[in-house]
Amino acid sequence: MFRIFAIFLAAALLTTACDSSTSKGYELIYSMEPESSAEAKPPAETSGPPARYQVAFVPKVGNDYFMYAAEGAREAAEDLGIDLLYREPASADAELQIEIVEELIERQVDLIALSANDPDKLVPILRRAMEEGIEVVTWDGDTQAEGRRFFVNMVDPEVLGRHLLDTLALTMGEEGKFAIMTSSFSAANNNEWLKWIKVQQQQYYPDLELVTTVTTDDVTERAYEAAKQLLADYPELDGIIGNSSVAPPVAAMAVKEAGKLGRVKVVGLSNPNLMKEHLLDGSAQMSTLWSPKKLGYLTIQLANDLLSGKLPVDGREIDGVGNIRVNGDMVIMGEPLDFTAENVGQYDF
Amino acid sequence: MIFKRRFGWKLRDYPIAYKLTVTYVLLTVIPLLLLVYVSYTQYARSVEEQIGEYMPRFLYQANADIEKHIDELTRLPDMLFNSEDVLTILRRETYDRRSALNRDQYAMNSYLARTYTSGRNADVMGVFVLSNGRLFYSAKAGFKEDDWNAKLGDYIGGVKTTGSQARVVLPDEIDVSLDTDVPYVFIHKPISDNDNRRNLGTMMIAVDLSFIDDIVRNFEKNERAELWVMASTGKIIYHTNHHKIGAIDEEKIRYPTLNGSFRTSASDPAKLVSVNQSPERGWILVHSIPLKDLTERTDLVRNVTVFVIIGIILVTSFIAILLSYSMTRPLKKLSSLMKSVERGDFQVDLQVRSGDEVGTLARSFNSMISTIRELIQQNYQIEIRQKEAELYALQSQINPHFMYNTLETIGMAVEEGETEQVVDMVTLLGRMLRFSVSNQSKSVAIAEEVQHVKDYLTIQKFRFEDRVHFEIVQMMDDEDYHTLYTPKFILQPIVENSIKYGLETRKALEIYLSVSQEFGARSGKRDIVFRVRDNGPGISGERMEELEQSLKKISFEGRNAHFGLINVNARIVMMHGADYGLQLHSIVGKGTEVIIRIPMTRGETIANADD
Repeated sequence: MFRIFAIFLAAALLTTACDSSTSKGYELIYSMEPESSAEAKPPAETSGPPARYQVAFVPKVGNDYFMYAAEGAREAAEDLGIDLLYREPASADAELQIEIVEELIERQVDLIALSANDPDKLVPILRRAMEEGIEVVTWDGDTQAEGRRFFVNMVDPEVLGRHLLDTLALTMGEEGKFAIMTSSFSAANNNEWLKWIKVQQQQYYPDLELVTTVTTDDVTERAYEAAKQLLADYPELDGIIGNSSVAPPVAAMAVKEAGKLGRVKVVGLSNPNLMKEHLLDGSAQMSTLWSPKKLGYLTIQLANDLLSGKLPVDGREIDGVGNIRVNGDMVIMGEPLDFTAENVGQYDF
Repeated sequence: MIFKRRFGWKLRDYPIAYKLTVTYVLLTVIPLLLLVYVSYTQYARSVEEQIGEYMPRFLYQANADIEKHIDELTRLPDMLFNSEDVLTILRRETYDRRSALNRDQYAMNSYLARTYTSGRNADVMGVFVLSNGRLFYSAKAGFKEDDWNAKLGDYIGGVKTTGSQARVVLPDEIDVSLDTDVPYVFIHKPISDNDNRRNLGTMMIAVDLSFIDDIVRNFEKNERAELWVMASTGKIIYHTNHHKIGAIDEEKIRYPTLNGSFRTSASDPAKLVSVNQSPERGWILVHSIPLKDLTERTDLVRNVTVFVIIGIILVTSFIAILLSYSMTRPLKKLSSLMKSVERGDFQVDLQVRSGDEVGTLARSFNSMISTIRELIQQNYQIEIRQKEAELYALQSQINPHFMYNTLETIGMAVEEGETEQVVDMVTLLGRMLRFSVSNQSKSVAIAEEVQHVKDYLTIQKFRFEDRVHFEIVQMMDDEDYHTLYTPKFILQPIVENSIKYGLETRKALEIYLSVSQEFGARSGKRDIVFRVRDNGPGISGERMEELEQSLKKISFEGRNAHFGLINVNARIVMMHGADYGLQLHSIVGKGTEVIIRIPMTRGETIANADD
């Protein structure tokens, strides 16, 4: 009897003592993973290679600046796996761009990235493209807001405009006459900078006098002629601001040819490669620009994001570009770069 | 359950003590142990589940902190771009003079030291920039290898740079190792010139991972808990046990979840493992603690409970066994006593003092045994007395004196030619002998008893003639006289006494016998009363007292002078109770009266009782 009693007791104690020996391996207690996320995690693999996006990249005209921008765009297209169509108008003419856009609508591209020659004329055709389901963004030269989703701007126009005049004032000693060479009065970005140049002049530099503003249509020959004419018309001229990339090199060249090297200061927006020679020989004092390659790269990056359903976000870091700023429907790439005789050799665009 | 099946059908055959104990175990011990077991396991489980639930949240937070910290560290290379001078140096490809290169080296190294290794970034152990075949560096710890710069260059040359994303490089992916004990990783980042869209070189930053210690030690103070960070491949990047850094967690592929917690018994001891995988870098932060440590406090409670329970079980078992024994021991004793009673030994006494049912049973048993004993004693005594009385009667009749005297009287009568008298005497003698010998029953009709004593007296009258006078008075109707019964031989001993003592002192003895029905004060009923009165010498007071004492005792005291009286009294008391018996009244010198009181008994009652 006691034996059985003892067995009872021992059995009961045994079950109490070795309680956890029954569980084996791994026993899930708690999972924070949402039920579906395990399946949804690698979505790219399951859907196979997506159809490559077709993105059209349209500059104002075919010059060095836009060539570098296209170079950056191609780099981004290669990095991202995008088919890039580069369409350059023969001249900086809105009509030609309209034709190009029409052709692109016919080709049913996914997105058009355009640097507009005219802020208004292109709006109807761009609206049509959007109605056809094509995304439109502008870069470098903007249109009216209804013609595109967003505008990829290189720099803050106010910062740039004021800075351009500051560099001129610095080289001129804050006094004298100066002229501005801009691309055309229809180009929205150039007009914006012009506005801020004038504001800066009125605000800080009463001894500087803007004598005239001439257009170049972003064509080197025309600009060269305009520069020579400018020097001839205003012999008292002390400085020239080139407000589009073709202007400062030809202005510098004209100054050199007129024998006024060092007397007429030349600053403005232009590529370091174009300005290198002039900066080194003193016919130009300073060039300001951004990296057009970077602009092209950023535009295609943002175009790709837009096609993936992502709009640009303020402060976001774009790989290979840096942090961008977003102000309403305008993206600002960064700060302008200044090129002088000392550092111009470092840049390759 | 097994036990039940084994003895189920036989359970009723087992001793009560066994049944009580088994019942106790089934009703008390098993539920108690079950209760303790279930509540303990449930409690331990709930503790585990609680920790299993909040630990992943901590890990999520910690992992996010680590991720954030690493993110910050991966942004360190961007600080290079803050300096135009640095960019200028990096963009430079060729030197025409050695001094120019050395100047750049100096400028760059001091910039790196200023920016990265001195003070501000405590986590940075060293920074190495490889650009256009130049190596700039600043480091707090040196390398173990002497040719580290060549090896580092080889490594960087071997890595295909895709994009400009920072990458974390574990120490064992590189052939060189820093001469330090702290855990560290390299952050590898291509330096790209965004403006020119060119690669300027590569930067490697060695960062100290001890900050993970600070993060994880915030919420885990237990020394036995292990925390480690591993890449999604299972390679351990950081471990609280620094020796395990660089190893591969073999079990990782078997983890049931990478975001949550689970119990594992794959390793010894069993552990509670909580994991969290960071969404971006895919790093897995693992927290592992032996279950024993979690349930340490619970285990104390369990041990205490188990010991208390064992104590209670032992004590209650002891009590249960004691109780069942105290119940069954008297029963066992009772059964053994009953066996000895069965064998005929009535001198037993069951010593149980308790007031419960067992005690009652024991007392009933005791009183039953004593009653049986008394009954046996009584019947036995009655039988003996009866036999003695019969023997006495026979003796007194076959007494040689009596026979001789009687025969002599008959002889004298024959001589005198009184034939009639002789015939009478012989007839009387014969009838007396027949009465004594023939009837075996204890009781006889009153008439017969009286007839017998009359015969006796008549014979004595023949012998002593005028010296003896007797008178017999019947004071009841004839029917009762013939149907009521009386014990046999109750009158003759009295009468014999009267004659014996009377003739010694008196010349003429008178004997008076009456049979009547009287109301008895003691019995409360009408009794039959015999009165035997003589005018003998009487009994002295002293002697009378002695005699009354003897009568009260109703015990056998051997054959003394009053044997006859005592015998008669004892038989009546035994048969009919203390309400009946003999009464003596005597006045010295005047005579004695003996009153015999017996109940009215019909023949059939006697016959029944006689069986």
